[in-house]
This record gives sequence, structure tokens and C-alpha cells, in this order.
Amino acid sequence: MNAPVAASDLADLSMTEAADAFARGELRAEALVRACLARIEAHDGKVNAVIRLDREAALAAAAAQDKARAAGEACGPLAGAPMMHKDMYYRAGKVSSCGSKIRRDFVPQVTATVLERLDAAGAIDMGTLNMAEFAQNPTGHNAHFGHCHNPWNLDYCTGGSSSGSGAGVAARFFTAALGSDTGGSIRLPATLCGVTGLKATQTRVSRHGVMPLSFSCDNVGPLVRTARDAARFLRVTAGQDPKDPTSAAEPVPDYEAALTGSVRGMRIAVCETYFLDGADAPVVAAFEQALAALREAGAVVTRIKAPSLAAIAAYTALVSRVEGAAIHANWMREHPGDYAIHLSARLFGGYAIPGHLYVEALSRRGALLKQFVAEALTGHDLVATPTLRIRVPTLAETDIDADPANWHRFMAVSANTRPFNYLGLPTLSVPCGFDDRGLPVGLQLAGRPFAEATVLRAGDAFQRATDWHRRAPAL
Amino acid sequence: MEPDLVVPTMEAIRRWSGVAVPNAAARHGLADHAALIAELEALRGSMVFEEEPSHFEAALRACKEPGQ
Repeated sequence: MNAPVAASDLADLSMTEAADAFARGELRAEALVRACLARIEAHDGKVNAVIRLDREAALAAAAAQDKARAAGEACGPLAGAPMMHKDMYYRAGKVSSCGSKIRRDFVPQVTATVLERLDAAGAIDMGTLNMAEFAQNPTGHNAHFGHCHNPWNLDYCTGGSSSGSGAGVAARFFTAALGSDTGGSIRLPATLCGVTGLKATQTRVSRHGVMPLSFSCDNVGPLVRTARDAARFLRVTAGQDPKDPTSAAEPVPDYEAALTGSVRGMRIAVCETYFLDGADAPVVAAFEQALAALREAGAVVTRIKAPSLAAIAAYTALVSRVEGAAIHANWMREHPGDYAIHLSARLFGGYAIPGHLYVEALSRRGALLKQFVAEALTGHDLVATPTLRIRVPTLAETDIDADPANWHRFMAVSANTRPFNYLGLPTLSVPCGFDDRGLPVGLQLAGRPFAEATVLRAGDAFQRATDWHRRAPAL
Repeated sequence: MEPDLVVPTMEAIRRWSGVAVPNAAARHGLADHAALIAELEALRGSMVFEEEPSHFEAALRACKEPGQ
């Protein structure tokens, strides 16, 4: 056995650091799981990221992995890495609440393909995580399981809907977590909590066994510490699935092999339209500093205009709302009082959108994708934006249940992330600084369809040049 | 002051979907539709007769990086 990793550092290990240390024989899986459990026990009373902790099962799985590795058995690419997942990934026989009162006792009969793939790769599943009710808010409020709190400052939003995933990765409760992203629900909690989040190309990852919100815009993906973590996680989870007829047949490359550490010559577009409209000054300052770091590393940054964004922004507001309203219609008729106020209010608006406009939004999606690519990604490899254009808001100032007047601030949170769901483009969020109140700021990088390797290469190079992703909140 | 569109929209939702307005925040959300209607009004006439939703997945493949 090589030199063991120091016990005090264990929970600080990223997913790939942990898996690689385990594979080299420098780390016992059980020791890492115990370190993570200790963090949860010490701090989750404040953060409220966890819904169900499978303590004994996780310890048993870790001990079995240690025994197998000691016996010389081959280990998977994620072996030794403890994870927890948003409580909307079905595992047969286990409750999946979807963050709701309505499904509080729902026991699915199937297991999500993405969980099966993580299991096969050796990931250690420690339980399930808090989330926005039915993945339907961008802030992390939850009236049924309690709001999730930002580990950087407990008065502030974690971002949603994958609130527990972002907060838990930031708090060093586990090395990685599944989120889901229909309008920003991976990238927003990644940004607000200062971690890394990846939404891959629409159709890249199977959605079998995953709670639906909007079949046109739903995506499965990770919240992790680094772009390298996201690369390995995606390699394990991506690829066609016979159980999900919408999943793409595109080959899955070795994303980690693409992480050269260099962005020299990479061309990055910054849209002067839309993404910076009304942006808060501390966010713009951190974003410009991130662009300077990329330029320093050899990237070429160009300011462009993308007129298609006006149509994209309008249509993206329609699609997921109509689809969400449709699948919730029975419950909205039969027991609307079982939803949180903000959710039933949001769903209600979906019934007012005329069918022809919904069809128009879907019908123009391909043409607008081509137009946006022509405007922004022809002659450029990536588009860069702030992930959240405003400073991280407090839980109080975005609480619609307490005051409907907070509606605009609540809806503004996902303005910069939603367009990439409509466009279906792969998009990564990485930490790029802090605002004047000490809350994280995120850099969003989007590429062409199925260009996850390019997006991850830029994110990884940025993280080699900066240390924002290494900062941890003091809990 | 609540925009004129709120009450008739609530009534249309009740008739078409059988869903009643659940709370005051829902009325607030409907009032917000005025801005969305204005954005969509600006897009009238932009859809092409032959366009359909299936074009999107073809566009995803067509827009890949050159050589990918």
C-alpha cells in the first residue's frame, strides 16, 4: 500500500482524487465514507441537504470495496467515491419523494439507468438529497422538507432545483451528486454553492427512471468539485439506453483524455445581447476577471451579438411550463393544496399558454438552434456567460410563499441558464469568484451539440489556472 | 393594480382544464403574462409553414463541431 491520504483531508478529496487514490491503494473507501458521514452529522442540521441517509448500507458497500481491492480485484472508475443523489432518481423498492408531499411515500418499481451505471462503476450511494418540490424552482425553497441553506451563508439560497446536491458537494458531505436540469437546475446550485455542474447535450444521458418535469428540456447530470470529475462522471453515465428511446446514439468519447490543460487558441464568444442585461456589478467584475484568466491562458475572447436570443428567451419560458402543467393536471385538479404556494402558482400559469404557441416554440427550436450556432458558435468554440447574472439572493427575498411580490426576483434567477435548455447545448458552470457579500459567482461555458469534450477542456484549463473550485465554506 | 387579463384567463383555465386558481401568488403569476405576451407578439410571423418539432434532433446532429 502507498502512503495513505491524511484523515483530516479525506472529505476534501474531489471525486476523481478519491477514486484514483482508492485505485492506487492510498485510500480506504470505508475511511472516506466515515469522514463524509461525520461531516453530515456535524453540519446537516444547519444546511438541510439530506433527505435519507443510508448509513449502514454505505459503510457495508465501502467495506466490501476495500476487501475486493485488497484481494486484487479490478475496481471501477468511480470505486471509493461516496455520492448522494437528488431524491427523484428511482431505485426499485426505495422511497423517492421528488421533494414533495404528494409523492412522500412513493416507492418506484424500476431503477434509473443512470443509477445502474453509477453502481456498475463502483460509486458508493449514501442516500438521497433535498430538492425543490418536483424540481420546479430555481432557488432551493422546499415547504415540505424545509429549505436547503447555502453553506457559504445560511441565509442565502442554494439555487435549485438540485439544492441538496449543490449544498452537499460544497459542504464536503460527499464527492458527487446527481442533479437534474430543465432550466438551470444543475448549473444554478453549482454556481450559488461554488461547485461545478454539467448539463450535457439534450439526449446525451438516459432519463429512464427519472422523475419527469418537461420531456423536451429535462437533463440528467452531475454536481461535483471539478471539470475532471464531471468528465469522468459523464463518461460513465452517457450513452444510448434502450429503455429511453430519446437517448442519443452518438458515441461516448473519453472526456478525461480531452483535458489537455490548454485553451491556447480556443475562441470564446461573449454575447453582448441578453446575458448581461441588468447584471449586478460584482457578478460582471468576477465574470470579466474569469475572461481575463482565459485570455491569459491563450484563449481568444470576442464580443458578439446574437439577435436570436430574443426569440429563444421567449420560447424557453413556454415549453417547460406547458409540459409541467400537463403532467401535474390531475393533482392540480384534485388536491392543489398539497403543493407549495409558489409551485401551484407557477403550474397554474402553464394552463394559460395557448397550444399553438407551445407548438410554435417546439417547431422553431431546430431553426433557432441553427441560427444561434451561426451567430455565436461559427468561428467560436464556446459561448461564455455568467451562470447567474444577479448576486446570490437570500431565501427571504425570493420566497413567494411569504410574499407574491417576490415573483420577479424568483423568476429572474434562471434567466441565463434557461436558453441553453431550449437550445439543447452542453453547458458547464464553474466557480469564478465571489460577490461583495462573499457568495460565489459562476462562469457558464456552452458549446456545440455533443461538444462536451471542448466545454470540459475549457473548464478544466480554467480550474488549473485558478483556485476558486478549491475554496470551501466554513461551516 | 391587477391587469385586465387576469380574471378572464382564470376563467379560461377553469373551463379548459378544470383547474381553479389556487392562491394569490397564482394571480400574481398570471399578471406577469402580460410581458410574455408582448415578447411573443414581437415574434408573430416568424414561423415557417413547414417547420415541426422533429427538426430539433436533426438540428442537434447538424450543428455538431466540424469533424466530430
